[in-house]
Amino acid sequence: MESGDKVWEVFVQKKAGLPFKHVGNVHGYDKKMALQNARDLYTRRSEGRELWVVPADAIVAVPLDEAEAFFDPADDKVYRHPTFYNIPDSVGHM
Amino acid sequence: MKITIENKEAHFLVRIADTSVILGQRLAEMCSKGPMLEEDIALSNFGLDLFGRAEEMYKIISNLDGAKFTPDDYVFRRNEREYYNLKLVEQPNEDFAWVIARQFLHDIYAREIFTQLSNASNPDLAGLSQKVLKEIRYSLMHSKDWMNRLGLGTDESNVRTQKALDHLMKYVDEMFAFDELDKTYLADPEKLKTTWFKEVDEVLLESNLKRNPFPPLTMRDFRDGFHSEHMGHLLSIMQFLPRAYPDAKW
Repeated sequence: MESGDKVWEVFVQKKAGLPFKHVGNVHGYDKKMALQNARDLYTRRSEGRELWVVPADAIVAVPLDEAEAFFDPADDKVYRHPTFYNIPDSVGHM
Repeated sequence: MKITIENKEAHFLVRIADTSVILGQRLAEMCSKGPMLEEDIALSNFGLDLFGRAEEMYKIISNLDGAKFTPDDYVFRRNEREYYNLKLVEQPNEDFAWVIARQFLHDIYAREIFTQLSNASNPDLAGLSQKVLKEIRYSLMHSKDWMNRLGLGTDESNVRTQKALDHLMKYVDEMFAFDELDKTYLADPEKLKTTWFKEVDEVLLESNLKRNPFPPLTMRDFRDGFHSEHMGHLLSIMQFLPRAYPDAKW
């Protein structure tokens, strides 16, 4: 694409009150075009009632080469899930 | 099969239905040829909106006229001189500026037409008009934005858009050469004309584009089934399959 063109991440809300869900991305030179492109690509089958577009470079992500340091230490610590005690029957489903 | 349209209201409405289907076909031709993926899909979707709009119009036309023909009959089994679309919408997709300028000039016209028809005494027509106005408002938002972008973009985009406008404007006069049918079925034809010119001029002004004068033309009116040289080619592609294979189902 030509310079000036940007990538935007698209989030769709299905109904008022529900969380916005990431659905993909679009190209767009500015906010207006990004929003219209998102509308045309991601809501043409009634997928949502509201849309967010966020410049992809505004999203801060964990660098791929640091992913091990960020996430691997949690792998062998299953005890962090509160599943190691018995729940009395009278509590029921929780 | 000879397709006939006897009812006066049906004869008036078929102009609008034909305008929708022919512009839809021009946009369908853009499928896979858009300037970028997002715009490609947008244009195809506007085309689909226009086909849907036309189909519902042909159903209303058919009901007014004795339910003798289906929407497919109207679209695929009429010849050039039996089509009554605006010449504006049959103009080719020379480049993206043509596609956008044509759409922009059409969208303001369509919005005014369906605004006036949304109070029609025919309840099917009034209901359909209210529904399609939402589609048209979005399409106009899109085409207006692109007029701004192309007009104010680069020297090249401005020159190309002006060139497209200079060509397309030749097909505008006939839009407002109202006949008895227009005057019978449109609530206020003169308002259609004044609103159209006012809004087009506003957008052209803010987009650094203009409406240039052109020499007088001797084209005959779309209301009598006359077309520019592009129409026959468009129909030959659009109608090829059902004419070659009349029993084909899809």
